[in-house]
Amino acid sequence: MSKASTVLIYGTNLSGYRIAYALGKLGYKTVMLNRGAYVDEVRNQVLSQLPFDLCWACAYAPQRLFVGLGAMQIMYNAELLELNGEAGNFTAKIRKRDAFVNNYICTECEKCVDACPVTVEKDGKKQKAVQIVPKMFWENIYLIDEENCTQCGECETACPTGALKMNPPVEEIEIEAGAVILAPEFDEPGKAELATFGWGIMPNVVKSSDIARASLATNFTGDSFKRPSDGKLPQSIAIVVTPHFNEKGIEYENCNASAQAVYRANKIKEMHPDIDVSLFCRDYKCYGKGHCRMYERAKDSGVRVIRTEKLALSAADGERNRISFSTFSTKELTDKKTVHMTILITGQRPPTTMKRLSEICGVPAESHGFCDILPFTCAKTEVNGIFAVGEFTSPKGNPETIWEGYGPLREITSRLGEKNVEKPQPPALRNVSYEKTRTGIFICSCFGAFSDKIDLESLVNRVKGFSHVAHAEIINGCCTPFSIQETAAKIKESGVNRVVLAVCTPTQKMMKFRKTVMMAGLNPLLSELLRLREDVIQVHTDPAGMEDKAAAMIYAAAAKLTTAQAMPTLMDHMGSTVLVIGGGASGLEAARYLGAAGYNVHVVEKTDHVGGMADFLSIDLEGHEIQKYMAQLVDDIEKDVHITVYTDTLVSDVTGYAGNFHVRLETKGTETVAVDPAIVILATGAKEAKPDLYDYGKDERVMTQLEFEQKLANKQITGGHVVMIQCVGSRNPEKPYCSRVCCSAALKNALILREKGIDVTILYRDMNTYGFKDDYFQAAMKKGVSFLRFDENQYPKLEASDATLKIKINDISDGKDKEIIADYLVLSTGMDPNRENNEAFSALFDLNLDDDGFFDVESCACPYEDASKRIMKPFELSSNGVFVVGTAHSPRSFMESVMMARQAAGKAMVILPAAKMPAPNAMYVSEVDESKCTGCGLCVDVCPYHAREIDPIRKVAKVRPFLCDSCGACVVACPSSAAFLRDQREDQLIRSIDGLLAV
Amino acid sequence: MANNETDIKIVAFLCNWCTFTAADLAGTSRLKYAPNIRIVKVMCSSRIEPVFILKVLLDGADGVFIGGCAPGDCHYSKGNFYARRKVALAKTLAKSAGLDSERIRLSWIPASEGPRFAHVVNEFTAHIKELGDNPARREVYI
Repeated sequence: MSKASTVLIYGTNLSGYRIAYALGKLGYKTVMLNRGAYVDEVRNQVLSQLPFDLCWACAYAPQRLFVGLGAMQIMYNAELLELNGEAGNFTAKIRKRDAFVNNYICTECEKCVDACPVTVEKDGKKQKAVQIVPKMFWENIYLIDEENCTQCGECETACPTGALKMNPPVEEIEIEAGAVILAPEFDEPGKAELATFGWGIMPNVVKSSDIARASLATNFTGDSFKRPSDGKLPQSIAIVVTPHFNEKGIEYENCNASAQAVYRANKIKEMHPDIDVSLFCRDYKCYGKGHCRMYERAKDSGVRVIRTEKLALSAADGERNRISFSTFSTKELTDKKTVHMTILITGQRPPTTMKRLSEICGVPAESHGFCDILPFTCAKTEVNGIFAVGEFTSPKGNPETIWEGYGPLREITSRLGEKNVEKPQPPALRNVSYEKTRTGIFICSCFGAFSDKIDLESLVNRVKGFSHVAHAEIINGCCTPFSIQETAAKIKESGVNRVVLAVCTPTQKMMKFRKTVMMAGLNPLLSELLRLREDVIQVHTDPAGMEDKAAAMIYAAAAKLTTAQAMPTLMDHMGSTVLVIGGGASGLEAARYLGAAGYNVHVVEKTDHVGGMADFLSIDLEGHEIQKYMAQLVDDIEKDVHITVYTDTLVSDVTGYAGNFHVRLETKGTETVAVDPAIVILATGAKEAKPDLYDYGKDERVMTQLEFEQKLANKQITGGHVVMIQCVGSRNPEKPYCSRVCCSAALKNALILREKGIDVTILYRDMNTYGFKDDYFQAAMKKGVSFLRFDENQYPKLEASDATLKIKINDISDGKDKEIIADYLVLSTGMDPNRENNEAFSALFDLNLDDDGFFDVESCACPYEDASKRIMKPFELSSNGVFVVGTAHSPRSFMESVMMARQAAGKAMVILPAAKMPAPNAMYVSEVDESKCTGCGLCVDVCPYHAREIDPIRKVAKVRPFLCDSCGACVVACPSSAAFLRDQREDQLIRSIDGLLAV
Repeated sequence: MANNETDIKIVAFLCNWCTFTAADLAGTSRLKYAPNIRIVKVMCSSRIEPVFILKVLLDGADGVFIGGCAPGDCHYSKGNFYARRKVALAKTLAKSAGLDSERIRLSWIPASEGPRFAHVVNEFTAHIKELGDNPARREVYI
């Protein structure tokens, strides 16, 4: 039986989108089930807990483009009813109800809103029964308010494109799918779960996600945090991280929470320095990249951070909130603070969809109620062929969620049949170089919607009189499948060879406009797109002024086109070899992944054997056996014929760019080898920090956590009292970052010691046990590990004598000085970047290092805002084709490093199959007129993407179209006018300016 | 020429990634602003040559507006800084050519801030109205 090739995605979390994108690129069709009536009705994580409120996920999510290409089908109001079959041949029974308005055909003319006779008053605002619900950038969603709709059908009659259909029926359908991906959205705590904090009871307690939602279209501004009760700016704000104070098992903290808390505090202080902001948390869990710095900035700007273990909210006079909290010494709610408004930073609840999906798909839940995933896999559930991703499987921040989408790619595709999406061939273009310039103006009436607002007839007659214009007419549109064909036919019929389309926003519709021009047989460089709707019709009211402006825009565009020239899209060679630098766990994992996918991989290791830091690890906190995993990994690598491992080898020279790198490898004692990888995966790792504190290196009884772990594995620790100090030499001004792994390592070793009955005391500042790791903290307390907390300004002191190690500590819980006698002192020192190494690679590959010395590459678990943009654009990076994985990027645990390696490898898998890559900007690139170029190199200096170089033999500038992003800095820098942008040459812009001012 | 409101012409060079998109947002949000502004889209504000700015003034426009990404947010990492230098240069050149450098305005407007775009345009238009007609319309012949 042949396998099905379609992939069913349940839910719309960002991982799901990312998989849809990757599969679409690879040629597999996806069906996405959206439980809501429109794109983001069911909130996914990015919309619920984005610390930076600007999201744009709708713009970068693949839906519009991929739906158009037939690679993706989105079902609204959908629910999965049954799932039968096995991997490769699932049959899914689905109930769905189409959206009222088909967004793919809707032109947003608003005729339906105008036609609707029903006016309802909601929240003090008048609105129609047909309305735009969330006012977003890219996709305005028209919904019918079914409660108030009178079913008169006026809107359906008024809709010029037939996008609006009243009463779509509820349908039940069956879909054949090769694999199923569970990507349901994020569940945030509701009224019942947040009752302790008074949310939903007191008016001035708001969730951070409400603020995020409200400020989506405007970003977080001064208006975003007004008091709901009176609309005034509050004088004092409390920010409460709720997972720290809520009952166990209700909500879990992910890496967004602390970043979000501090980001909000910083922003509020930035905009209104006189507002009193206090932040309530138990520990500041700042384990993400740059989070510690954000925290320090908050403290510097006057945010009061109150660490407490207990907290309660009650109403105070004048709609204020009273926060009662304990201090470490009292343990009772003795301290009080009254604030004007409280912002709750909430965590993640176990998914409510879990139970149903468990019943339908047979995937089990793990002990917290999230979906259970097999260890060491990103997304594999216990059922073959069913994968679970994103916030459905554990508490996750946005970057992890987005990146996870690429992780299981190879495993998904291996369960599918033949590819079932064919890329449409571009239409054949006409050669117009010998024709006399004839420019046609096509003015969109948006299916008649513009005619009410501007006199298009008069505009057409006016532009017909312009000297450059051969033809002008009104069109219906060029954004729905039918109108694109219609307009293309009109352009062909008119016989013009330059086209001005006076239409609407290119941010949504650029591709459709270009398609229209290409279907008419013309190169898009021979066309100009004008934003008639956004620049004229919707923003001005004076009719004469509107027509003048529109005419001037059209005149300028026509003038600009007189010297336009058709040029082809440039293609670049794309290799298929991968170079992995670093033979640690993450490097080897990436190599295994890509080797198994059939790509040739070279692995370079500096030392004489592979394995890296994993050599020092035996198990992780959750009890996974690392050595067993590594043995399997190394074995797989050795068996795979696609993978070549070079030990004792250094990278000596790198030239080229994504798709075409040229790298020289120098192996000790032999000749150098040259490889030409298309993609480079940097997995150079980090190292454990060796401090110059607490007699480390002088006293044998003092060691680092990793050294201790080895002693423990070798059974050298048999008794005595072990004292561990956390955050040694880190989270201070010299090293302002959290190494993420040390708290887990300390807990892990402490739990092993307690098994053997050995006494352990952990001295800590903040316990950074994120996600489910908090369980182990609780377990350690139960098993008798003593925890003492110290203040960051009062680190414990060591007095060592030959007989004993005496540690003096000021215990924060009672403020008393204490003395502990230890037999071993274990220092949790965290990770240091391989600075020298990183700097060398930073120079070779032109990658940035962050302030701490790790690689700061957008392509991996990047800042939130970037992360959401990169759902769609794998090549939109200043460091194209180089992926940094594992601890070279930032401190992370063994498991997290391995996952990151798979995610990068998955991303590589999407890019690698193309033998030829079109320049990302197609024909819109910069070029060189060699007859004018003097080879001075000024353009090389200003190019932000290194897209230009001087040809060493001919001494003229050369452009690598693959890297050019057409900014035009080179054009301006060029003293001899040799550099030009294909669509914006100097004479063209001058003509534009003249044209704009001529009318 | 009469000091008529509709007669005032402002040429705006907007970068594709930020200010042009902010104008788009202003458009889709149906915010109203003065119709005197006429837009030239460039990919990056660094594409704007000082010559263009002077040319616009010499051609008789009453104001030149340049919009780029906020510092640190440039799509091309530092294109807006190049633009800033060029605008400074253009202002100096304009002064020495007897043109009014007050008529040149550089502003950073992020893509998400449609309302700000409308506000800045209105404010700049009002400023130009105060300055009155560009005398170069009558005086300079090239």
